[in-house]
Amino acid sequence: MSSIKCRNLCKTFHQGQETITGLDQVSLEIASGEFVCLSGPSGSGKTTLLNAMGGLDTPDSGEILLGEERIDLLAKGALADLRLHRIGFVFQAYNLIPVLTARENIEFVMQIQGLHAAERHQRARAILEEVGLEGIEDRRPAQLSGGQQQRVAVARAIVSQPSLVLADEPTANLDSHAATHLMQLFLDLNLQHGVTFVIATHDEGVMAYARRLIRMRDGCIVSDESRQAGSAAS
Amino acid sequence: MLPLAAIIKLAWRNLWRNYRRTLIMLSAIVVGVWAMIFMNAVMRGMVDDMIRSAIRVLPGHAQIHHPLYRDDPSIVNSMTGLSPELENALAQPGIVGWSARLRVPAVIASERESRGLVLLGIDPATEAALGFVPGPIVEGRSLEGVDDRGLVLGAKLVERLETGLGKRVVVMSQDPQNNVVERGFRVVGIFEAELQAQEEQSAYVGRATLQSMLGVGQSLSELAVLGTDYRDLSPWFAGLQAAVGSDVELLSWTELDPYMASMLRVQDGMILIFVGVIFAVLSFGLVNTIAMAVFERMREFGLMQALGMRPITILYQVLMESFLLLALGLVIGNLLAVLTIRPLESGIDLSGVADGLEMFGMGTTLYPSLRIVDMVATSALVIVLGLLASLLPAWRASRFDPIEALGKT
Amino acid sequence: MSNNWRLAWRNLWRNRRRTWLTVGAMVFSNVLLVFLISLQLGSYDMMIESTLRAFTGHLQVQHRGYHEKPKMRRSIPAALDKAQALREELGLESLAARASAFALASSDERSLGIQIVGIEPDYEPLVSSLPGLVGEGRWFSGVDAEEIILGKVLARNLKLGLGDEITFIGSGRDGSFAAGIARVVGILDSGMTGLDRSLAQIPIGYFDDVFTMAGHGHTIVFELESLDQVADYQQRIEQFLSTDSELVVLDWDTLQPGLRQAIRADMTSAWFVYAILIVLVAFSVLNTQLMSVLERTREFGIMLALGIRPRRLGSLVVQETALMSLLGLSIGVGIGWMLAYYLSVAGFTYPGMEEMGEKFNLPAYIYPEVSLLSMLWGPSMVFLGAMLAAIYPALRLLHLQPVTAMRAV
Repeated sequence: MSSIKCRNLCKTFHQGQETITGLDQVSLEIASGEFVCLSGPSGSGKTTLLNAMGGLDTPDSGEILLGEERIDLLAKGALADLRLHRIGFVFQAYNLIPVLTARENIEFVMQIQGLHAAERHQRARAILEEVGLEGIEDRRPAQLSGGQQQRVAVARAIVSQPSLVLADEPTANLDSHAATHLMQLFLDLNLQHGVTFVIATHDEGVMAYARRLIRMRDGCIVSDESRQAGSAAS
Repeated sequence: MLPLAAIIKLAWRNLWRNYRRTLIMLSAIVVGVWAMIFMNAVMRGMVDDMIRSAIRVLPGHAQIHHPLYRDDPSIVNSMTGLSPELENALAQPGIVGWSARLRVPAVIASERESRGLVLLGIDPATEAALGFVPGPIVEGRSLEGVDDRGLVLGAKLVERLETGLGKRVVVMSQDPQNNVVERGFRVVGIFEAELQAQEEQSAYVGRATLQSMLGVGQSLSELAVLGTDYRDLSPWFAGLQAAVGSDVELLSWTELDPYMASMLRVQDGMILIFVGVIFAVLSFGLVNTIAMAVFERMREFGLMQALGMRPITILYQVLMESFLLLALGLVIGNLLAVLTIRPLESGIDLSGVADGLEMFGMGTTLYPSLRIVDMVATSALVIVLGLLASLLPAWRASRFDPIEALGKT
Repeated sequence: MSNNWRLAWRNLWRNRRRTWLTVGAMVFSNVLLVFLISLQLGSYDMMIESTLRAFTGHLQVQHRGYHEKPKMRRSIPAALDKAQALREELGLESLAARASAFALASSDERSLGIQIVGIEPDYEPLVSSLPGLVGEGRWFSGVDAEEIILGKVLARNLKLGLGDEITFIGSGRDGSFAAGIARVVGILDSGMTGLDRSLAQIPIGYFDDVFTMAGHGHTIVFELESLDQVADYQQRIEQFLSTDSELVVLDWDTLQPGLRQAIRADMTSAWFVYAILIVLVAFSVLNTQLMSVLERTREFGIMLALGIRPRRLGSLVVQETALMSLLGLSIGVGIGWMLAYYLSVAGFTYPGMEEMGEKFNLPAYIYPEVSLLSMLWGPSMVFLGAMLAAIYPALRLLHLQPVTAMRAV
């Protein structure tokens, strides 16, 4: 259903006269339901890989399969549909639409998907409870703390029932307390809903939660280790 | 695709994110829209007034004469009567009424002075019913029938002749045999007209009286016809035209007064230009405002696309924001216009420039004419033009690469 | 201090699109204002000149009370001599005496009551444009010639052609019976039906003979080179005539009050349009500058923390606005000037002008007036409006607190 296979992905960027290698023959396989961390310094290619897996960007060469589908061949419109129905994103910051309340943000993707109001409200209510945000769902992002905002973001990512949740440095703007809570939430959701999580980060504390840790450098995968079920590292 | 309600909600809330900017732009739109409608109403009122005045002076929406009468307005070129076809045609539903008159050049002499003028033998009932009277009677009475033997003069003429109510004057004119005929008349009524020229150059007597004075039986100089709407003669004009033989000539007011006809055309053009100009100045601000709003939200647009929203929905969002801004401005602007124009509809007093206005054929009071059609047309134009102007920033916003957009802080 | 100007200039270009759009609004308005104002002034001049040149002239000498009540006996004694004396005294050739009377004019077939004007054949062409419009025939042969020139419509109404004889009967100055026979030597086509219908001129010597004027006349008409000279000449004429308490000098405004009023009415509506334009541009500037200030709150906070005085910051905004407005002004005036200059040579017309021209004896083309006033008045007002709009954003800066400012997004 939601396995990811990447084969020989290459991506280069051009900045003026310079050529920057984003991905250099990257291949990997992630099974459905895994909880993976991509780590590496900035410029290692983890964001590029994440964008490719999420259908936000197309690699220059190579294949990406989501389930059995070749997503590197999809046109822009089809990619948008892909993102809409099968991918959930959590970014480092500015995850939410400022003029919508927390609940409206959560319902946003479902609205684009075309779900009926009743269903939307029901699912939103459920997820709000699950991530522990009942009572503040009518606040706008500006009135929420950083941690709360990220929780809303992941609630939105999960509620549209994607195959895959991709998070790019989700804890970078949070204090350690909030970061811990967020990572625990990710883990709980992963176990509860069986959705694959791929998280890009350079924070050691976050990496400790990973059941599988893939390190990258200069556009290549340098190591790929599996561990036991993550636990909170102090 | 986002449902419409969601797009509206997003657009509305986004408008008020920067309430200062929105309020300033809104105020500008309100002022612009108000000015458009105000100017429109004033101009329409002005031209309406001018044309109604002209029609009252001609008089009529159409006139029927002897074919040679216009070139040579002498008693010789008169119509001897109405054919049955013409009488039928004059009874058409679109025609409000008609009035037959005898109209000859004459000389009027009091004890002291003489003046040349146009003498009109009328049927006071039909003339009054159609509103062809030049103005109210300020002294004495109006004519009472076609056989009335009295004379009604304009106040200015009475002054020039140094005569007065109840006094006798002598009226001289030419009969069809070229003889000068004269008759004494008593001044029974004095009228005032909005246009001074009318006061000085016309005098009224009973039609039968004039006919007998000139010995012309039932001859008529002209038939003035009034329809329901000066803007549209088509319901009845063709019917009249068919009934008019080759022995009489039928002309519409636009042919009789080409200047006024052109006024009507020019006015529509001028309003359009005025609206266009105002809108052009507004559009600079509008595009600026929309572009600023869009630019500030690039990251958000990137986020939405990352979440799976199609780029065209961004276009719709931006256009909707522009639409709501314009619509709000239009509502307030229209409301303001109605509130300010309504009290003025009883007339704006322009007596300070009365003589000048007379040169243009206008009365001294200006009645702005606020028509729903104008308001709707102006509003529709503003919305359409406004959306067109916002199209470019909206389109550019939708073309932005989501990854680049996400990268902007 | 020049540092500040350079900084202000650079700040403008940090957001090029916004600056250009705001300047664009100013340029558009300025071009429009220059165009409209120059056209307006040019058309007024033209209207006045062409109306005055037709018949009224810039000044007239008349008997006291003649203007209000033109009676035969309110005359100027020894009018021709007086006219000649004025010519020598003022060093001005373009003045002429006239006399006027009512008469019943008859041809073989028609009679009409008309005003006959006696004119000086040698000098009338210098004060009036009408002699130049004699389309058929010729001008008078001498001051005593028993000749008459008629307006085209009048000739037609009387069924007269060149060479025909016309009889006229009236009252002389002393009340005696006046009669004359004149030959039609010229037919005048002014293009204005009103004038062509009433114009009848004979040489003043012949007039004097027929109407027993004994050397008296009714007006002396003066035609000057431009309106600016009116006040000066009026004073000199009054001085010359100071010994004669029965004569007054009237300026064109008194003689044709409608003219100035018509212009005033037109100007009022024009000012309304200009005011709207200026207000809209001011809104645009307000929005732009306010946004520009708000965006730089943090930056300004840092500058305050570094010790720069709030007043300096406020004046920075004012300077930015000034530079932007100067840009808008110079480009606007530049383009506007080119447009106005081109039209001042080629002439400007719009649909409807031709009909208007016929009615009011105006040429079908208007030539805009290119003067310092017409070029700069509108744009200066825009500049002023823009500077006023900058006050609010500048004032906001004066209350800025460094710490809160630096914390702004």
